Amino acid sequence: MTSDADAVLDLHDIQGNIIKAYPRFGYPRARNFFLRVSDGDAGRAFLSALIPTITTAAPWTSGGASVENSQRPLVTTNIGFTYDGLKRLGVPRASLQTFPEEFAMGMSARRDILGDDGPSAPTRWDPVWQGTEPVHIFVSINGRDAAGLEQRYREILALLPVAGVELAAGHRCQSEGALLPYQDSSAIFVDGEATSREHFGYSDGISNPYFKGAGTDSSNVIGGGKATGKDPRTAAGWEPLETGEFLLGHKDEAFEYPVAPVPNLLGDNGTFLVYRKLHQNVGSFDSYLDGEGAKFPGGKEALAAKFAGRWRNGAPITSFATERKANEFAAEWAAAKLAIGQASTQAEREAAKQRFSALNTEFVGFDFTSDLAGGGCPVSAHVRRVNPRSALEFNVKGAFSTPSALSNRRRILRRGLPYGDSRAERKDEGEHGIIFMALCASIRRQFEFVQQQWIDYGNDFRVGNDKDPLLGNHGLDENGECDGRMVIESDPKSPAPPYLCAKIPRFVETRGGDYFFVPSLTALRMIAHGIVDPT
Amino acid sequence: MSNENGNAYALTTLCPLMAVCGQDASPAALIRDRLHIVNTGAWSPLAKVPNVYFSRLLILDDVVYQSKPHRLEHLKSQYLVFEASLHGKLGPFLEGMWQCAEPFIRSMWEFCVGFSEVRDARTFTAFIEKCQVKTTFFFNGSTDEPLAEQLKSLYLKQEFSKFAYDHQGLSAKELQAAFKAFIARVEPENLARPTWRAGATDLSNVVIP
Repeated sequence: MTSDADAVLDLHDIQGNIIKAYPRFGYPRARNFFLRVSDGDAGRAFLSALIPTITTAAPWTSGGASVENSQRPLVTTNIGFTYDGLKRLGVPRASLQTFPEEFAMGMSARRDILGDDGPSAPTRWDPVWQGTEPVHIFVSINGRDAAGLEQRYREILALLPVAGVELAAGHRCQSEGALLPYQDSSAIFVDGEATSREHFGYSDGISNPYFKGAGTDSSNVIGGGKATGKDPRTAAGWEPLETGEFLLGHKDEAFEYPVAPVPNLLGDNGTFLVYRKLHQNVGSFDSYLDGEGAKFPGGKEALAAKFAGRWRNGAPITSFATERKANEFAAEWAAAKLAIGQASTQAEREAAKQRFSALNTEFVGFDFTSDLAGGGCPVSAHVRRVNPRSALEFNVKGAFSTPSALSNRRRILRRGLPYGDSRAERKDEGEHGIIFMALCASIRRQFEFVQQQWIDYGNDFRVGNDKDPLLGNHGLDENGECDGRMVIESDPKSPAPPYLCAKIPRFVETRGGDYFFVPSLTALRMIAHGIVDPT
Repeated sequence: MSNENGNAYALTTLCPLMAVCGQDASPAALIRDRLHIVNTGAWSPLAKVPNVYFSRLLILDDVVYQSKPHRLEHLKSQYLVFEASLHGKLGPFLEGMWQCAEPFIRSMWEFCVGFSEVRDARTFTAFIEKCQVKTTFFFNGSTDEPLAEQLKSLYLKQEFSKFAYDHQGLSAKELQAAFKAFIARVEPENLARPTWRAGATDLSNVVIP
């Protein structure tokens, strides 16, 4: 027997996108496409042919060599299925009925919970989501360059049977009116270098949950685990989350197995994936920031930081109170990164790596207990809403079994990349935004809860019905004016009043998406062979 | 008393329904049909009754069987359950309810055992008190202030938040002038108006100007 803390996962059985945020491993480009299955036999034959290309979570060495026979690939491939997809592939009804209700319903049927109204309503989504049939299979490819992506895409299309499995076309793209059979996304490149910036200019994808058995760098527990109440800048301040928050068949934070389909082998080591195409109104964002930033004490960049809870370079505003401090930190971080490449000896290189790693933890190693009133990071700021850390304890020490108990069951693994280019023309129209993906054991308890209660509502944070300034589904008031608002708290020790942002327009609109099941490699083979047996 | 908390009072009554009423439907089915079309929210007949925080009417058919090893048991009759959270004492409330909603009371309680004796506010109060169960079903969404005070304070809170957004950054002098105009408009001491409508369940059309 091994202890609980040493949980070992069969990483060769788990799809790679669950464990690895590919862009951070040198795969900054992605192609997503969807298939519809009209013939179960053809669908299963296609799946059997595709399985050898599926990328698992087996670890890679940084140099690309194999670890435990796991070769670092040129291109990654992962797959997921909608409820209707599983049905078309012949998963028996008795198994289908054991899947969670929200997954069976699909994303557009959950629009009221997700706040997908007005410009985000499913009737406005890309045509691929508008058919009488939902999509059935989701394939995502991540690559180091566009050529690799294209090649893998062609290879997979070549596996499609003559009939019975069809590519679902209808993704809007940058040439107006045209539709593509796939959705590309990519890091925004500056001087040939992939950046972590999204279209509003923020560094994105900084903080992700860290759970038992994930097998990645254990220093990721800082800011990624659950709070212990000790110093959040150190590893003592955090513990890994339970595996079952992100993988079916493992114990979760409630000391239970998450709700999973029958038979167990179908669910074990699998999870659920939320795919959302989120359009960004960059014109509205820029002009709101210009207009309000001219009035806001501290100016436009400070206002942008108050919205997100991070400066646009990623430095958390709760730790770096001024733009100058944030910029100094960013410069120090860039220099440390450069120093690794410039090290001439192994010892120098190790020292440089350690220095870089220490700086990296400053992006994530913080909480809001010393900033409860929101004078640093506003209570309504985006990062504080979607991951309140231990803030919901409201400084009542010992209120819960762990300080972040109310957040631990609401964490999601985020896998997203921008699409489109908004640099030439900063306007709302056009195709630019984020392909957002979330992975979690329960779409309803984790993703949907965060979207409904923490992004589109504010009661848990004691800010009434104010929404997330950046992602909230702000609407129009009775006079037809934008009704988004946000209180930016002032430092309780200063005489300054809070700053009130009113008339915030909807900056982000949903353009499509659905809910997918991401099975283990074992379950994929069972589906492909048509041998899922719930009895 | 366990069903009183400060000035808040929690009323629970279980009035037994007659088994038959001489019509081609059971009393429970007839009352349910009437209940299903009662207006709710600001248009509820009970929204006119002073000082009700919350009220609910339902029909209790029977107790639920909890499976083995429990015994299967039944109630002797079906009951009309009436619950209300209110401000003040029970007597004045029931009297006010009779004054404001007599036709509604008659249609709801018509088939209850003993209701045929009810002729006026006094006999209605006696009838309800006889059926009362003193439990602690409080509606937690309110304080124990009079309803008019609570509605006025909700109105003021909402209006003040709008004022804060509309007048940010003014000089102290301008702000004071605007605030004086605001106070003159919202009349904090006037509980009758402007205020919120009793029974409203959303923000549209909630303000009584």
